[in-house]
Amino acid sequence: MSLALRGVTLVHADGSPALADLDLNLQQGEQVALIGPSGAGKTSLLRLLATGLRPLAGELELLGQQPWSLGNRARRQLRARIGLIHQAPPLPARQRVITAVLAGRLGQWSLARSLVSLVHPLDRAGAAAALAPLDLADRLYSSCDQLSGGQLQRIGIARALYQQPQLLLADEPVSAMDPVLAAHTLEVLSDAAARQGTTLVTSLHNVELALQRFPRILGLRAGRLLWDKPASAVTPTDLADLYANEGLSTTLKPAAPAPAETPLDLPRC
Amino acid sequence: MLTSPRQDPAARSRLLLTLLALLLAWPTLRLAEFDLLGLFTGDNARTMGNFLAGFWPPAHDADFLAVLGRATLETLAIATLGMALAALIALPAALLATRVLSISALPRGGRPGRLPRLLRGLVRGVLIVLRSVPEIVWALLFVRAVGLGPTAGVLAIAITYGGMLGKVYAEIFESVDPRPARALLLQGASRLQAFVYGVLPNAAGEMISYSVYRWECAVRASVVMGFVGAGGLGQQVDLSLRMFAGGEVASLLLTFLVLVLLADVLSRLLRQVERGQGRGRGALTVLAMGAALVASASYLGTAFGELLSARALAQMGSFLADFLQPDFSLAQLSAVAHGALETLAMSALGTLLAGLLGILLALPAAGRLGLGALALARLLLNALRAVPELVWAALMVLAAGLGPNAGTLALALHTAGVLGRLFAEALENTPKAPAEAIRLAGGGALAAFLYGTLPAVWPQLLAYLLYRWENNIRMASILGFVGAGGLGQQLYFSLSLFQQAQAATVILGMLVLVLGVDLLSNWARQRWVVR
Repeated sequence: MSLALRGVTLVHADGSPALADLDLNLQQGEQVALIGPSGAGKTSLLRLLATGLRPLAGELELLGQQPWSLGNRARRQLRARIGLIHQAPPLPARQRVITAVLAGRLGQWSLARSLVSLVHPLDRAGAAAALAPLDLADRLYSSCDQLSGGQLQRIGIARALYQQPQLLLADEPVSAMDPVLAAHTLEVLSDAAARQGTTLVTSLHNVELALQRFPRILGLRAGRLLWDKPASAVTPTDLADLYANEGLSTTLKPAAPAPAETPLDLPRC
Repeated sequence: MLTSPRQDPAARSRLLLTLLALLLAWPTLRLAEFDLLGLFTGDNARTMGNFLAGFWPPAHDADFLAVLGRATLETLAIATLGMALAALIALPAALLATRVLSISALPRGGRPGRLPRLLRGLVRGVLIVLRSVPEIVWALLFVRAVGLGPTAGVLAIAITYGGMLGKVYAEIFESVDPRPARALLLQGASRLQAFVYGVLPNAAGEMISYSVYRWECAVRASVVMGFVGAGGLGQQVDLSLRMFAGGEVASLLLTFLVLVLLADVLSRLLRQVERGQGRGRGALTVLAMGAALVASASYLGTAFGELLSARALAQMGSFLADFLQPDFSLAQLSAVAHGALETLAMSALGTLLAGLLGILLALPAAGRLGLGALALARLLLNALRAVPELVWAALMVLAAGLGPNAGTLALALHTAGVLGRLFAEALENTPKAPAEAIRLAGGGALAAFLYGTLPAVWPQLLAYLLYRWENNIRMASILGFVGAGGLGQQLYFSLSLFQQAQAATVILGMLVLVLGVDLLSNWARQRWVVR
């Protein structure tokens, strides 16, 4: 079991409810997409799974361990096995790409190694290998403030891939990319996860992309899991229920049949 | 697939920088005679312990309080009178130095003729020399020339601050709208008339507020100048230190803190009044200044009349004449060079240590380790900063013996207070998300700081460090007056032995050092900090 939630409830710092009574089980190596309207609690759920937020009630088990009953040191070791891709990767502006990527393994490195690597990057090959499939290998020595939003997102993905976690959480990882690049990047992400047997949870606002790429879809609405089904079983009604908004009346088009893979102008790899 | 660059483009420069640092480290440590353990070994520790134990309770018997009151008033009077004389020097100098009142520039589109330009350059050069020699050096010279007491302090403040005010006044004149003055000159007004009608109305406010701010600095300076015998609180601190009277030192330091705090409050108040709306506010400030001036002059008495007697003037003249023939013998030059290197080593090492201590204190002071740690760290930082370098140096000479090591430690302690506060502010303004992300990926607190926080703040930290280093080189060159090594110690010895020619060489060495560092730090700032 990669992760298990039983009756998990989360409350924001200001007291408003974020997640209510959530139950969820994922097998190791499973790949799921998390969709839902804005404010449904997707980011909160991912941060909860990354042990960045502590649930108010319920049981949370990650990679066979209960993070909040562990000591600090053990929780750190657990965190090193969980990767989180942020929607806007929090990278210091003047840091170089290679250092930002190598920072992914700080949880595994000794202090001495991380100090040396700060001045003289120690694993050039590893960083380059993480960047190459994302078509950013040539930016290895650029500084982060020279990159666009989409490039920064891919640096964040490369960092999480370099971390080689057993549980990989991605919060809108392709929101700043054009459709073709987004599809390609998601493919890189899920291929890498499949190769390493990593469990992958990705939140997406692009429903079509989620249905195409992920075998299992979680529909989150107002902090509750509205439904949890295989992608093939998701119906237009499900989507309408999920995104229904009293204020805005729009009818969702049924998901178009998955177009044949016609890579238009995929990055050269 | 695009090929990734094989070579780290930064590797070579980083390697060179590391080698350079290692290469410089050894001579620096040697020159500064660095020895941290000396503080804690045997006798030194015990002497220091006894001395510090005497700090409580602070001395408060009636006799001592009377002495304290007199010294405090004297300090204030020195600062006020010194500032008045400084303004007397600064105003004509600024009028000569400013381009705004140039008549020869009128028909040339604002570019003055060659001769006037030369003259202005000359005046500016003199102002640079006046303000580049630290006030305490002037004080030491005047103590030798006119004897112990507040007169030397007043003259020292007048000269140094005259140089500073002159430069700033000239800049203020040039920053206001030049058209009114130009119009007046064109219609035949004299320079002074054009100044009074065309420039002064726009410049007066800023001039007054800058002068008040400088007065506050002069109060701090005149406290410290007593260490070379120029009167005021500092002279009393020096005496009490020599007598190991801990209680008296404690009272004096407390008085000093209160005085500096009051000067700060008063100067802020005056500047607020000045900036406020309504007529007559400027007049109020000027009135207050005038009253303070009269009080100061009457308090310090008639020493100045005596100063202008023929005998005193002749004595001073012959003393100063000796300085016009600096000793350029090889032995003296190499001695000054060694002193300059020692000064550099002290300042560099002291600043680096201060940076380390500062960042260690800044982390709790920025609230990263909880509220209790925050309050404690801020208190410590304030205490470190409040005690001037020269007082720290006198204390460190007691604790660690004569020599540059004491100077290094003194600089490290005071500067740590300054840098710690600046670092804490920088840390507070740094986004927390990058460090948090690394914590979430299992990184430790230190790794999160190094990889998440430091990259965003280090240019700022470096800028602060350079700025303080620049300041510390000036400081390091005078800490020797209390026996803490560097050029100051040489100057003090030369003057004690009445070797004016040698002293002149040392002062020239100080000038070269200070001006060189100014150039270097400007260059470094532009290279690394301004992007």
